[in-house]
Amino acid sequence: MTNRWRRGLWRGWWAISVGVHAGTAAASARAQGAGGDALQRAMEAEDASDRARAAAAYKDVLQQALVVGSTDGNRIAIALLGLERVWAEAGALDSMVPVARRVLQLRPTDPTAHTVHLRTLVTLGRDDEARAAFTMWRRVTGTDGAPYREYARLLMQQGRALAADSLLSDAARLLGAGGALSGETAQLHVSLGRWQAAALAFRDALQDQPWLETAALFGLQRAPVAARDSIRGVLLADPPRLLPRRLLASLEFAWSEPRRAWQAIATLPADDSATASWRTFGERAEMNESWLVARDAWTAVFERTNDLESQRRAAEAALRAGDAAGALALLARRSKGGDDAARRRALLPIEIAALGEVGRVADAQRALDAERARLDDGTRAALARPLVGAWLRAGDLARAKVAMDGTDLADDDEIAGALALYEGDLVTARKRLVRAATQRPELVDALGILARTRLDQSLGIGQAFQLLAKRDSAGAAARFTRLADSVGTAAPALLAQAARLSSATAAMPLWARIVQDHAKSPEAPESLLAWARVLRDRGDTAGAVARLEQLLIGYSDSALAPQARRELERLKGTVPPR
Amino acid sequence: MGLRRTFAVGLLLLLGATRPAAAQHLLLPMDDGQRNHLKAYGVTYQALKNGQKAEWLLNYRGGAFLLPDVADLRRRAALDGVTVEPLTDADVAAARAEIAGGNMDAVVLERAPKIAIYRPVDQPPWDDAVTLALTYAGIEFTSVWDDAVLKGDLAKFDWVHLHHEDFTGQYNKLYLAYRDAPWFVAQRERDLSTGRQFGKADVPALKKAVADGIRGFVDRGGFLFAMCGATESLDLSIAALLVDIAGPFSDGTPPAPDADAKLDWTRTLAFTGAHIEPSPYVNALSDIDGHQVNVPSRRQPLGAFSLFGFSAKLDPVATMLVQNHRTVVPDFYGVTTSFNRAIVKPGVTVLAQEEGAPWSKYLHGDYGKGSWTFLGGHDPEDPQHAIGSPPTDLSLHPTSPGYRLILNNVLFPAAKKKPRKT
Repeated sequence: MTNRWRRGLWRGWWAISVGVHAGTAAASARAQGAGGDALQRAMEAEDASDRARAAAAYKDVLQQALVVGSTDGNRIAIALLGLERVWAEAGALDSMVPVARRVLQLRPTDPTAHTVHLRTLVTLGRDDEARAAFTMWRRVTGTDGAPYREYARLLMQQGRALAADSLLSDAARLLGAGGALSGETAQLHVSLGRWQAAALAFRDALQDQPWLETAALFGLQRAPVAARDSIRGVLLADPPRLLPRRLLASLEFAWSEPRRAWQAIATLPADDSATASWRTFGERAEMNESWLVARDAWTAVFERTNDLESQRRAAEAALRAGDAAGALALLARRSKGGDDAARRRALLPIEIAALGEVGRVADAQRALDAERARLDDGTRAALARPLVGAWLRAGDLARAKVAMDGTDLADDDEIAGALALYEGDLVTARKRLVRAATQRPELVDALGILARTRLDQSLGIGQAFQLLAKRDSAGAAARFTRLADSVGTAAPALLAQAARLSSATAAMPLWARIVQDHAKSPEAPESLLAWARVLRDRGDTAGAVARLEQLLIGYSDSALAPQARRELERLKGTVPPR
Repeated sequence: MGLRRTFAVGLLLLLGATRPAAAQHLLLPMDDGQRNHLKAYGVTYQALKNGQKAEWLLNYRGGAFLLPDVADLRRRAALDGVTVEPLTDADVAAARAEIAGGNMDAVVLERAPKIAIYRPVDQPPWDDAVTLALTYAGIEFTSVWDDAVLKGDLAKFDWVHLHHEDFTGQYNKLYLAYRDAPWFVAQRERDLSTGRQFGKADVPALKKAVADGIRGFVDRGGFLFAMCGATESLDLSIAALLVDIAGPFSDGTPPAPDADAKLDWTRTLAFTGAHIEPSPYVNALSDIDGHQVNVPSRRQPLGAFSLFGFSAKLDPVATMLVQNHRTVVPDFYGVTTSFNRAIVKPGVTVLAQEEGAPWSKYLHGDYGKGSWTFLGGHDPEDPQHAIGSPPTDLSLHPTSPGYRLILNNVLFPAAKKKPRKT
């Protein structure tokens, strides 16, 4: 840390603590004639790390300013802080004590002198004198909370949380609970792990000190799971106030509880401040891909503002959350703002996709046909894509092909690959899907299966994937299981696919079949790992250990071995818990 | 008859030539071909515990281990991810020939040592590098604490480890900063209670008695391995058996004014002529530590330390202690990080030191019928470890050269004593 930087830091602290903002020290020095020269000399010497010269010059400044009745508190404060820095670096901090006491004799209420005096004694570990210095300061300031605040901060910095606690309890008794010291009290409770008390203190502090919201978030988010309900109780208490509720929403996000985060602010009275919070929350939920709560937040904004932007975002979040019906309900409402073209551009793609998702593909087709004349070629082509996808998922391959007419979707590897897959043309599907940058889970799974079989045609596999596209995972799992006996070496891949689509209970016999009948397949170690995890989660540690050991012994070269070994180590307690 | 015998011999030779020879041994290489060096020590320990014979091939492939090829060891190695190489008798003979011709040797490991770690029994195992290493490697140990030491229970063990305990009873001078911390208050209460049980008035008196018990354990033939602050504070406590060197916060009285002059260095293990740090505000016990990490104005930066090479055939003990696949290891801080060479006793073997620096990192010596090893620093894979830091997960550091030094010490008491060749 350079002197200059450190001095800047201390100056900043000083400005906050004594509330004097008379300009920079240098400007002050220049304005003070001969005395100003001494101050300038002191600071230049300090910058040059000439501590002896700096200390002498700072003492000169003090001597000049310390005349009875002097009102030049600014220069005295600068000199005191300068001396404290210089002597601390020189390892001669104890020299500071008599100087601070001399200043206090002449200026008994000087806050900087009291602060430096107290800080020096605490740093030197002269506890009895520090306590006496605090008492002296408290006597001259009456009901001011500054001595308590400063002493409590110093004690907390020293890790003496219990001593700080006693002090703040005294302050609460003498000055009244909360108030000016509620921020310090809250931080103290955090450091002692008293989470409910910390939440209460922060809730009170936020009333007058809204800037503590970030500090509260950082402090309280470390609360262990067991303590979080008590924090929730405090911050949700009636009457609902924006800042505590917003703090709780942020905490819930930090604790990976987005639904609870939304509930924290959803019940705020719907005014402009709450709407702004909902909007911010919606954006955060979108970034977090928490689509259900994003839907709810944007719907709340839309209820209040009725604008096109919030309607679009609410509907899109609903669609992404898998609530296509909810998206359609939102789209059916009339929002204000934006002409028809803007509305079409904003909402029609969501409507078509949502209609396709709920199986109303014909309605989607009609919606597109109704608007077709008003759409440019690019928009039409863009809207055909979700429509074709919807027809494919509905299992109507002929209508999908019709919807592709007049578009270049036949060149789209994902669409063409999916079409071939569902028709059982595995050669084309393999060729096209490999080139497609698809992220649809059923097509990614299909690629895995296609890589494991040499079959050119299989209507059964096509139909199984169609069931998957229709979100009939139970039907698809049953179909894959039945097909396993007829696909040769791809059998374990189909069984593994069926296991992934099944509940844990239904998956276990499938994993056992893979391990027993297809022990040399790559799916065997994968099955053992998945099986072990299910057993671990059900509390069957011995069973989980046995599966993991079977994997490590039988498949020591598997890419899954490091993961299995790590899980085994955790189960056996040979590495620290997560 | 002769023809039939010739045919039979020929058939046997043919079979021998066409069938792959079965392995009789497992080699655990400890060079860069090993995937998990730390657990290899655990597999070797397991072999000894099962009553099987093991050999430590010093300076051969990073200090490899040679074990019998038995199913349970293969299984343990596979589960632990330890690399093994099956060797035939012929392979082993070739290896022995290579060992005979170079600065290498094969040391027989006879039995699994009985290990004790000096730590509170109820403490989780995540704040002590040795406990971490043994737990990770699957090597069994027993926790012993002050009451066990004072009752003489150390005699039940071959090997005792100490970590960052302050045997001067001053809690590493953390009193000023942590006196109100719940963990500190609990620790102090526990120590005072144990002290009362054994008639000791304060914590320094209790810890001096414990330090003397540990010294006696080594004197009677035990192996001691100490790390971090335990190294420095153990010797200070032994030297100060009859002198008050503790600050007033720990025993109510200031240190004796001429404490330095009254220290008795004849009974200590490693150091002589060190000077105690009398100020309770300076977070150091003495000038033994070269790095002084807790005194900002004295703190020295971390570098890297080099392991010395020794003659495997003439000096097998020192050679065992420095077996490693790296010769230069990044340094790591601890309450005591290193040892000022100027105050290390003559006759102590320096196993590692930082090039060009006035301190050593790793020391070994004999004391009475036993021996001791001191390694400075707290955690080889967490060089800046601080109170409250998360525990080190050794599954992320399975080839750690620093942790290997710790595990060398665990196995070295298992070695069969050879008559010295000089």
